[in-house]
Amino acid sequence: MKRLAELKQAGHKAFVAYIMAGDGGIEKLGEQIQHLQERGVTAIEVGIPFSDPVADGPTIEAAGNRALAEGITLEKVLEEMQRFDFDVKVPLVIMTYLNPVIRFGAERFTQEAKKAGASGIIIPDLPFEHRQLIEPFAKQHELVLIQLVTLTTIESRLEEILKQAEGFVYAVTVTGITGSRDELAEEVGAFTRKVRDLSPVPVYAGFGISKESHVDMLRDDVDGFIVGSAIVQAFHEGRIEDVEPLIDAVTAPHSV
Amino acid sequence: MTRVKICGLMEEQHVKAASQADAIGFVFAPSRRRVSIERAQELSRLADNGVQRIGVFVNASYEEIDKAVKTVPLTMVQLHGDETDELIRRIEVPVIQAFSIRTPGDVEKLNSSIADYVLVDAPGTDYRGGSGHVFDWSLLENANLEHSRLILAGGLNKDNVQAAISQTNPFMVDVSSGVETDGRKDEVKIQQFILQAKGDSMERTQEKTIDPVGFFGRYGGQFVPETLMKAVKELEAAYEDAKNDDEFQKEYHHYLKEYVGREQPLTFAARMTEAWGGPKIYLKREDLNHTGAHKVNNAIGQALLAQRMGKRKIVAETGAGQHGVATATICALFDLDCVVFMGEEDIKRQQLNVFRMKLLGARVESVTKGSGTLKDAVNEALRYWVTNVEDTHYLIGSALGPHPFPTMVRDFQSVIGKETKRQILEKEGRLPNAIVACVGGGSNAIGMFHPFIEDASVRLIGAEAAGAGVDTDRHAATLTKGSEGVLHGAMMKILQDDAGQVQEAHSISAGLDYPGIGPEHAHLADNGRVTYEAITDDEALASVIEMSRLEGIIPALESAHAIAEAKKQAQSMTADEILVICVSGRGDKDMATYAEKLEGLS
Ligand SMILES: Cc1ncc(COP(=O)(O)O)c(C=O)c1O
Repeated sequence: MKRLAELKQAGHKAFVAYIMAGDGGIEKLGEQIQHLQERGVTAIEVGIPFSDPVADGPTIEAAGNRALAEGITLEKVLEEMQRFDFDVKVPLVIMTYLNPVIRFGAERFTQEAKKAGASGIIIPDLPFEHRQLIEPFAKQHELVLIQLVTLTTIESRLEEILKQAEGFVYAVTVTGITGSRDELAEEVGAFTRKVRDLSPVPVYAGFGISKESHVDMLRDDVDGFIVGSAIVQAFHEGRIEDVEPLIDAVTAPHSV
Repeated sequence: MTRVKICGLMEEQHVKAASQADAIGFVFAPSRRRVSIERAQELSRLADNGVQRIGVFVNASYEEIDKAVKTVPLTMVQLHGDETDELIRRIEVPVIQAFSIRTPGDVEKLNSSIADYVLVDAPGTDYRGGSGHVFDWSLLENANLEHSRLILAGGLNKDNVQAAISQTNPFMVDVSSGVETDGRKDEVKIQQFILQAKGDSMERTQEKTIDPVGFFGRYGGQFVPETLMKAVKELEAAYEDAKNDDEFQKEYHHYLKEYVGREQPLTFAARMTEAWGGPKIYLKREDLNHTGAHKVNNAIGQALLAQRMGKRKIVAETGAGQHGVATATICALFDLDCVVFMGEEDIKRQQLNVFRMKLLGARVESVTKGSGTLKDAVNEALRYWVTNVEDTHYLIGSALGPHPFPTMVRDFQSVIGKETKRQILEKEGRLPNAIVACVGGGSNAIGMFHPFIEDASVRLIGAEAAGAGVDTDRHAATLTKGSEGVLHGAMMKILQDDAGQVQEAHSISAGLDYPGIGPEHAHLADNGRVTYEAITDDEALASVIEMSRLEGIIPALESAHAIAEAKKQAQSMTADEILVICVSGRGDKDMATYAEKLEGLS
């Protein structure tokens, strides 16, 4: 995670890829991670499927359902990650809804996630106010609990959340669920600028990011981009090369 | 919140009947209600720790007062004679000084008292020669008074105490003869008085046990995506504000009366009582509400709140379609935009309600994901809310979801239990021995149970859906089979597999077909205050026939679960006991299911 701060200092933009663990079978997980790190992504979010993903749009929900149909569980994903026989060169962040974690046990989860090589956790339905359920265990096992901020986060909470932010801040760029969008709203730029001004750690824009035009629009206002649905769908359809220009557009050195 | 003191207690059963009062009084002055210090000590032991023990004296010596304070022990002293300021200063516990009010001049005297509290009474009341008359409260209304030290007494009873409170806004009301029959305290009158005096405020005391972010014990909370946090917080603030606003409450009750047709009867079921051969059976008739079920109580409350918040678009989920119909109805009434998400499977089995919603002008969105039932409809409604949160209110239909929904829905549904309590006291002069209600998400049950939670003598039983049986994989028996988990914004009990994936529920009744139970119920199950039993599809269907034929009331499939459970409860109850069933809705919407399942019925 330190690397993310260094990247920012060097003036480079980060590209964070989201994948649905076990979509296409658990053996695909290692392959996908290897492929993405070879292609130069900065970090990878490993999504855990959940039966009721209310923050997700149809693409990720469908990927989750395919993974569930393969019998994928949080436990299986963590076990698979512990078996990786290749060098993991980028930070891995586990993204999961809260219930599988509660069922697995918060302490056990953080312990196993650490063993599996993860650096951080994102739980979209665990608001800042309830972070006590997880954070103490995460700290104990040196995992950062990534916070999300959105266009609707009120000022006073935004400041509180950012004050304590670690790793990176996930700036949600749509008022809505995950999924590719044609256009982002006008006010997003002002929002990410504000977040970036207040945040002690890099700020990455996510939700709806799927096109170079989105990257162009926000390039100067964020430290990186998180791309989910576009990557999940590309892997599913066996055409991940289609996303590669987007990775390059973000990570290629750029005159600032 | 006005406190209540029941004064002049002499007998054990009356102390017990006053268990929900804030204070009890013992009279040590010459009076027909006089008790000895020893007797007061015995009686005092029966009261809860939190209850104030107040001793009443007229011109007693310091030594006498001090002895009573130490022996009983008393937590306050009330003086009705010509006690000096010096005596008042010496007394170690807080002191209440009593004044007779006849003229505006008498009111002026109150402010010069050095006592902690002043008690105002009509001239010549019990302790000094007894009238028990009401004095002219309006004398207090415009006076320059500290209402936080005012205690109101004199001729209060259950019928005038509300008016007295709203006119004088006292710290406490004090009653003695108003809760007596033929010169003796009367348990029913004591309870009725407390109920009238406290009304809604009783709930507020109970809420103190809930922490501000909306937990019931370990259940509840606000487990929603960050985008919704603002809406949830705004709703929390808006509801807090509305709840304490008399205008809002008035408007809400206006619609309940004029539009829904409340209050609903508590019908004595003579033939069911006879057939079951056990307790007297009473039916709380939510089936008589406009739109056919209890759901409308909540829909009105939330729709009024949404408008107060400036939101004119409503999204809702529905299972049986009753909540969808109630929401569509209220949206038509208030000219609000309405979208209802409903599982594909439920659309099939509740066609009549689907058509009703459309006729009322709502948009019905079919949800094909998952099992195509209520859980999936809630998911879609939440997604819709996340996307349209700035101008849309999510009108949730049960005591579920992130705080403040479970509390708010409960409060709007509590009209069921409040009416029931008043009605049963009127009809039977005592509280029921047991109450049964069905639980889907838990709104009709919590609305019925909540006003009785503190009445330990009333057994509360929730009936959940066992579907094909709790030992099969086709049921919705969340409390029998479920475990702790987070779904739809709250920590509650859910049906889930070992990996924390939420399972599909199954019940013949679309309204109970949900794999979770609201957080307050999860808490009440854990602490044992409510017991939950599971009723199968077949048992529920048998009850539909039984109640239809015995009472001429065709119940909703959901309500039939409560009836089936009540029948089991009745078997171990006696003829001098009372059992209340919440009939949450009528069976019109289920007629297609009944026709199919009960084919060949003779
Ligand atoms: C008539 C009736 N009773 C009960 C329920 C169950 O809901 P709850 O547990 O919230 O009262 C429903 C739900 O649709 C219903 O229509």
